[in-house]
Amino acid sequence: MEGFENFIGLNPWTALFTLCNLVIVFLILKKFLFQPVNKMIDDRQREIDELYNDAANAKSEAETLRADYDRKLTEAKSASAEIISEANLEANRRSEEILRQARIDAEALREKAGVDIALERKRAINEAKGEISRIALDIAEKIVERELDSADQERLIEGFLRDMGDQL
Amino acid sequence: MNITGPRIYFIIPIFGGIPITQTAVSSFLVMVLLCTAGVLLGRNLKKRPGRMQVVTEKGVSMITDLVSDAMGEHNRHWTPYITALFLSSLLGSLIGMTGIFRSTTADLSTTATWAVMTSLICWYQSIKNIGLWTWLKGFSEPIKVMTPMNIVSEIAQPVSLAFRHFGNVAGGGVITTMVYWALSGASAALLRLIGSGWIGIVVTLVLAAVLFLVHRKGKQPGKIRRILGVMMLALALFGVLHLTGVLENVPFLQVGVPAVLSLYFDCFSGLIQAFVFSLLSMIYISNACPPPEEKPES
Repeated sequence: MEGFENFIGLNPWTALFTLCNLVIVFLILKKFLFQPVNKMIDDRQREIDELYNDAANAKSEAETLRADYDRKLTEAKSASAEIISEANLEANRRSEEILRQARIDAEALREKAGVDIALERKRAINEAKGEISRIALDIAEKIVERELDSADQERLIEGFLRDMGDQL
Repeated sequence: MNITGPRIYFIIPIFGGIPITQTAVSSFLVMVLLCTAGVLLGRNLKKRPGRMQVVTEKGVSMITDLVSDAMGEHNRHWTPYITALFLSSLLGSLIGMTGIFRSTTADLSTTATWAVMTSLICWYQSIKNIGLWTWLKGFSEPIKVMTPMNIVSEIAQPVSLAFRHFGNVAGGGVITTMVYWALSGASAALLRLIGSGWIGIVVTLVLAAVLFLVHRKGKQPGKIRRILGVMMLALALFGVLHLTGVLENVPFLQVGVPAVLSLYFDCFSGLIQAFVFSLLSMIYISNACPPPEEKPES
């Protein structure tokens, strides 16, 4: 059967259908459109925030590291300069000492050489004395043509040597 | 010309007869369309959005911003309800343009249901937020004498909401019907005048020739002149058809003029009324849900 409703009229069944439809649309939109879309937007926002935070952290970390390296480099430079200057000082000190030691050694050597020379000279004089006394004895033997006994000979040589030693 | 409510297609013979009206069918169709669109748009969301998702997200955040602007940040969660109301109203008005379905909003049952729904939400929220007694006491403020007025204004709220929307859409339909009727009458009268004899047709053709040919030298005839000329030619043609009895009483004036009316009453008015309805709902609900009181900082 067909018919028309009043132009201005309320139909409770239509109202009920409308209400159901509105509620269904509301629930579907909420569940399937608004919640997922909002969740997605929030998720993306959070991810972007995280990325920016990470980048900022990494940057500040890099800055810190760089400052650290700079400081360490400066320290190393000053330390090396110190070491070099210390080494220079040490080297100077060592060379001074070596020179001083060398001078002392040379002095000692010279003194020793002086003593040796004196001893050698004394020995040479003694040897020369013996040689001269022997020659003098030979000459005297030839002169007297005889052998003196040994006591006389000794006495004579001693007297001769004394004279000669005094002259020398 | 007869102006009626929605047609009753058939009656389901249970519970004393459930009438299935044009409104019910349109309303169901609108619901299905909106749900399908909602599910399709809310599906397969990705962190790196495609074109469709960008548009969807833009729309969702736009309407959420609109709601939080109108209702306050604490009332954001009302966005899906307001959106459902707005889209149901808009699509319900626009579906009348198909010519097959009747606008759901041209039925008082629909708008009244929405309005009462909004009012019930308001009352429930008020009672929930400030308590039943405080809410009831609010009617006798500022003075006791005002109580009947306050009650009337509280009832007038959904009534005005429902009738404003219904009246605008249904009134547009009525005016369109009347204009159709008037145009049909006018074209019939014109044809009677022109098609009564060959003289009328000759006069019309001469008028058309004057409109097309007589103009100042070196100037093309203006747009309005040309349209009028074409109309005169058409008039002459329909006059001949009427005179010879091939086609009688062609309501040719119904072409064109109602399109402008439809543009206003269906598109513009439908959009504006949907907007007004949801905006007023937002305002009423936000009045019932005041912002949470600032907790004193310890």
